[in-house]
Parts: sequence; structure tokens; C-alpha cells
Amino acid sequence: MAKIKIDGIELDVAPESTLLQACEMAGAEVPRFCFHERLSIAGNCRMCLVEVKGGPPKPQASCAMAVRDLRPGPNGEAPEVFTKTPMVKKAREGVMEFLLINHPLDCPICDQGGECDLQDQAMAYGVDTSRYAENKRAVEDKYIGPLVKTSMNRCIQCTRCVRFTNEVAGVGDLGLISRGEDVEITTYLETAMRSELQGNVVDLCPVGALTSRPYEFTARPWELTKTESVDVMDALGSNIRVDSRGREVLRILPRLNEAVNEEWISDKTRHVVDGLRTQRLDRPYLRGADGRLKPVSWAEAFGAIAAKVKATAPNRMAAIAGDLASVEELYALKTLATALGIASIDGRPALSGLDPKFGRGSYLFNATIEGVEAADAVLIVGADLRKDAPILNARIRKRWRQGGFKAAVIGTPVDLTYDHVHLGVGPDTLEALARGELAFAEVLKAAKRPLILVGQGAVARADGLAVLSAAARLARDVGAVSDEWNGFSVLHNGASAVGALDIGFVPGEGGLGTAGIVAAAGRGDLDVVVLLGADEIDTAALGSAFVVYLGTHGDAGAHRADVILPGAAYTEKSGTFVNTEGRVQLANRAAFPPGEAREDWAILRALSAVLGKTLPFDSLAGLRAKLYAAYPHLARIDTIAPTSAGDVIALADVGGAMDRAGFVGPIQDFYLTNPIARASAVMAECSALARARTTAAAAAE
Amino acid sequence: MIDFLLKLFTWWNGHTIGTMVHTRRNGELVGHDEFGNAYYRTKGGAIDPTLGVQRRWVIYAGYAEPTTIPPGWFGWMHHRTDVIPSRDGHRVREWELPHQPNLTGTPGAYRPKGSILGAARRASASADYQAWQPK
Repeated sequence: MAKIKIDGIELDVAPESTLLQACEMAGAEVPRFCFHERLSIAGNCRMCLVEVKGGPPKPQASCAMAVRDLRPGPNGEAPEVFTKTPMVKKAREGVMEFLLINHPLDCPICDQGGECDLQDQAMAYGVDTSRYAENKRAVEDKYIGPLVKTSMNRCIQCTRCVRFTNEVAGVGDLGLISRGEDVEITTYLETAMRSELQGNVVDLCPVGALTSRPYEFTARPWELTKTESVDVMDALGSNIRVDSRGREVLRILPRLNEAVNEEWISDKTRHVVDGLRTQRLDRPYLRGADGRLKPVSWAEAFGAIAAKVKATAPNRMAAIAGDLASVEELYALKTLATALGIASIDGRPALSGLDPKFGRGSYLFNATIEGVEAADAVLIVGADLRKDAPILNARIRKRWRQGGFKAAVIGTPVDLTYDHVHLGVGPDTLEALARGELAFAEVLKAAKRPLILVGQGAVARADGLAVLSAAARLARDVGAVSDEWNGFSVLHNGASAVGALDIGFVPGEGGLGTAGIVAAAGRGDLDVVVLLGADEIDTAALGSAFVVYLGTHGDAGAHRADVILPGAAYTEKSGTFVNTEGRVQLANRAAFPPGEAREDWAILRALSAVLGKTLPFDSLAGLRAKLYAAYPHLARIDTIAPTSAGDVIALADVGGAMDRAGFVGPIQDFYLTNPIARASAVMAECSALARARTTAAAAAE
Repeated sequence: MIDFLLKLFTWWNGHTIGTMVHTRRNGELVGHDEFGNAYYRTKGGAIDPTLGVQRRWVIYAGYAEPTTIPPGWFGWMHHRTDVIPSRDGHRVREWELPHQPNLTGTPGAYRPKGSILGAARRASASADYQAWQPK
């Protein structure tokens, strides 16, 4: 530790920390534009100038100078830093004046207005008039994709966006061309950016040069209601802030959570917003005798369901839950199904090999997302991380950039943005690796903390359990499972997946799984099928079954349904979601459901009364009390209940024969994975762009 | 007397003295529209040396209101056609509307959607989403 004195306060800091970090620790605020904690240091904005004693006798950029660069005084006094002297103020005012020479005075029409670093800091360091009569620099606006709008006159060349795309996103799409006054940020050929994380450059931009295109000219930050919530687009549960005005959700921004998403979110998370406004189910529908859906009252819809359910034996009924269901409604539906004696319930994707009977450790991302940074080798089995969980991929890339890290993939070859070995496509490779026939087996054995990442491409298939068991066996054999490190990690794709497994929303005694329910309904063996937001199944194959759809959007499920019950989307209800690592998180209500739609648990409670099996709770608090009593770990919000390594060891002994087919990820189109995203015009545009890029790449080869 | 003074001092009521002299000397009456506006052209359809085409002008009946020129006469005034509306061969299109005076400042004035001055009611809150309609 090195001693340093900041504004007269002496403190001990790590010698490699920068002066800016040391100043923050001493409680001194240092203005900055180019410096960002998660990006490399550029030192080009010069806004963070401080005065130092024990270094060069001129203002120093505190972001680019380390504490150890300063010399102690002649008698061994600690080096001193001043952040509030007149010299510092004058130097910063000079920097600000230079920055403003070419910055347009268009704050009233700029989308960044109200949340602009330049605006804020000009309040402290700006001068009231300009001394420059010359024309301002003009830069042409660039097209860099459908999500980010550019207004390049406003750019102050901090290069945060360039560093982000290069370092975090790993695509190198943006760059800085020309020199001096002619310098410009561009994608070189004015192509759209290719990253799934590109929306983050809007947050990083300290001025209004890069702003959100779907959100342009929509609202000012001070008129928005901010609600802290959790994302459901993938199973990571990224922490988000939902900004709404009145009943309308206007934008979604990331919220800082070091353990989950740091401060990034994927484009799907951020720009799915317009999907929340379109194709909404806002009243109950009932399919009439002529085969057409007609709007009805809640009582009529419930009456139709009750008449059908009462006339049907429990073994001819089933329920499937989709990817976006919260634990509360899964619990309500499970309780109702149990009361009715229905055994065929499932909240997993079709043909999943995951089963809660093997213990919680058998289906969680045991290494935890933050734990990825401690791993020194990763084997990715059956997952396309850029589609399944781009934020997790960014985390692995972050670990890879620190060095001493090896990655390998079994499954479809993909561009992960970091170096990796492609070992093979299917279970054969997994077996060969387990037998030690591949060089990567040595890497895994030598690694202190190997990470075996099993994706849905490997487990959501008929032999899923055998593959899962083989992966667990490999994890056990390479020493990935011990008391202090559990590297056996299952990556889910649906936000509801872990919650459903946690509360046992799986087939009971003699019950059918998702694929079994669809097949049985197609054969005519099932008469009533309840879909809780389940749109990813083959709804056309449900045969002549009476389908009750409880969901938010007019998607596949609603088109097939005989009764539609309109529910609330994730921004419209308070719900618990358990992410892929088992972290319990609460999503909060930012707006109200449209029209006559209600929160899903309340719909199930009302339906249960009509069915004569009234659920034992009348409020969300009552439901949660019952839920927490049955599953105590769900009450501990923002924590991960510890799992036992024994679950993985036991899973390794299950065995089973594996099919020879290669692992294919279930997500073909990253932008269109759920009903909300499919209703979004922005997501459709991104998807079309991504598809055109793939086709063009294929044509070039 | 008042008519004479208006002619003498204003240009927005019929013709001015100068226009009257010019019209008498050089003009040839072509016709009148339904509002009584009189349309003139240079005598014998002579080419005006400054314009390169024959000069055509209108003398309004009373207050000078250019929007009262009907579509047919408008076309003639702007040399889009040489066929005047009263002549054979003139076609009236179905989209030609009767003249409507400017309603600004009157109760019939246009109010934007949602204006508190307008008769229309603001759309209900259900307009902030688009509902799904079954096929």
C-alpha cells in the first residue's frame, strides 16, 4: 500500500490505482468524460486534471497517472494531490472551453438533455460566453445501425464507444479515423454494428452524439417514473430500470449489479419496449361455435373453462408454462393443478433432461456469473452464448482478456468474440474428451477452476439427461466439482426455467412432460391443455384439445387458443424470477396491464373459485407467504441459496445412452425468442438485419 | 363616393385606378366566374414581351381574395390550360371542391386532435397500446 495525501486527507491506497480512484476514495469528486471504470484508460478528454506535488509541475490527468508514479517529498512525506485549488479549477475551465468550441448549442433539441455529462459539468466548469467567433466544426452523421442514432457534431472524441465495442463487445465495429480537428467516430463503411450489446454505447456516450434511435424525441428524463426491475429476455435476470410515463413503458436501462450484468444489458433487453405496446391481449376471448374468437366477459370465459374442466377427467388435462412466467403464477397454477389432480404439468422446454429430483445443484449455473472471472478454463457444451446469454459471453470475454484462460466449444461452431477451440459437434466429442483423447482434456485437468458450461442445446433433447450426466461425469473427473469450486454450470434460456424447477413445476406421478403433452393432445388423449404464456411449443400440433391460453400477446398460443385470458407482462406485475445461477430476484410493476388484463396469479385465483377449488390466498402477500413457507430459499431476495456438490456427483452416476446427433441450440434468431420480442418492430428490424448479414456472409463463401 | 375613395386609396377592393386604366387600354375580357371575378388577357391574345406568353389577370368582385378563383379558372390563370371553364371541352374533375373561405378565427377553425378548444374528445388511455385482434 502506498501513502498519498488528497486535499489534506492522508490515506493508504494500492500503488497501482490511479489518482482518480484515490481521489474518489478520499471523497473528492473528479469530473471526467473519457474515463470509465470498465474500459481501458484513454486519457484524452483532460477533464480530470488535478494538481500534484511530487510529480511534474503541471496539471495532471488523474485518470492516467498511478499513485506509484508520484515521488515522496525530500523528507519522505507522502505525495500530495489537490483537486480544489484555483489552478485546478482554471485548468478544468480551460479544458471545458476547448471542448465547447466545437460542441453545438442544441441542448433543447438533444435527447441527452437532462442526463448529459457535458451539460452537468458545464454547470461547474463552463464559462458563460464563447470567445470563438469562428464557425464550429461540422461532422456528417453516420449510420451505425437501427438502434443507435448518431449526431456527430456533438461528439467530443472521448472514444468510450470505440473502447466498448473493442474491449467488452469484442467486435471492433466502431473506430476513430483521421486526426486532430478532422477526427470522426465511424463504422468505416457505415454498416450497422454487429454486436448484441451495441445499445450500451448510448449509455456510455457522455454527450448526445450517440442516442437511442427507438427512443428519439420521446421523453425527457425528469418526466419519467423509474422502477427498478429484472429482465426476463434471457435466464440471466439482468438488473434493469424501467422508465415509464403514465401507463406506457418508454425505455429500459441497465442497473448496476456486479454479480449479474455489471452495467451492461443486451439489445433485446433494452429495445423490446415497443413490443410491450403492440399485439396486446386486453380482454378475454372465447372461441364460438363458428370457430371464431369473440370478446367475452371474464365470467363467460371462466364459465366456459369450468364447464369443460368439470366434464373432463384429471388425467385428460395438462398445463404447460412458458419462458416468461414468474414463480408466483407458476406456484398458483401448480397448486390449482394439484387440487384438480392434474399430473401432467411442465415448465421446461420440450424434451428437457433437467429434473429437480437430482437436487438443485444439477440444474443451476453453480459457478455463478461472477465466478466466471475466477475460472481458468471453460468448456461450452451445446450453447451459442452470443444468442443464449450475450451478457454472460461478455463476462467470459472479460475473463479471457485477463489472460491465462482457455475456452473450447462442443456444438455448432460460432463466433464467440474470443479465442476458443472448436472440439466437435456432439456427444461423441464429449465422450472422447472424457476418455482424455483430446488435448483440451489436459487443459481442463490442469486448470485450477475449470468451468463446464452446459447449454440448452445439449439438455433439451430426448437424451438430455444422459448428456447432462456425461457432462457432470466430465466435471467430476477433471476436478471441476469440489467444496470450494463447483464448475458444473447449466445455462437456461427461459427466465422462468429455474423458478419452475425450484417449485417442482414438472410432471407428477404418471404425468407427461412438455413434448409428451403436445404429442398426447395431438393424438386426442388430452381434452384440456392450459398454456401459461407457452408460445415456444408447437401449438398447431395440439389437435382438438380445448386450449386455455393465459398470456400477454397475440402470438402462437393465442391463435390456437379456445379461451384467451389476458395477463400482465413482466413490467406490469410484481413477480419473483430465479436466474440461471439460482439468484432470486424481484421484478416490480412499472405500469398497469392494458384494458381488462389482470395479473396472472389473480386470474388463476379467480378461476379456481369458479372451478370450486379456491386457492388458499387472496392477495399477492398471502400467496408469497404460502410460497415462502413451502420454498424458504425464495424469500431470500438477491441471494443464491448454496447448493451441494454432491448433487453433481450423484448426477454423474446416472449415465444413459447418448444419441449421435450434434448439439443444436434452441435459439435460431436472437432477436425473436419470445412473444414480446416478436411483437416489437425494432426487434424485427434487428432480426432482418442479422439475417441479411448471415446470408451475405454465406454468399461470400 | 365611398366606392371612389376605396378605389383611390386601397388596392384590395376591386381594381385600383391604375389597373382600371391599364385594363381599359390593354385588356380584353375573357369571362366571369361564379363569384363575379372578371378575367382579362392582353388584347387579341398578344404575347407579352416580358412574359413570353399572353398576360392574364383577374379583377376581383369586391374584396380581393385569391382563394375564390375556382379550379378551372386557376388552371387558365396559370397557363396550365387555354380552355376556360365556360367553353366546351373543359373537364370538371371529381376532386375539384367548391370554394371554402378561410375559417381561421371563426368557430369552424381547425383544432388539432386533443385540443381543449376542439369539439373532439381526447383518445382514451387505451390508445397507449395496440390491442390484438383475432382473425
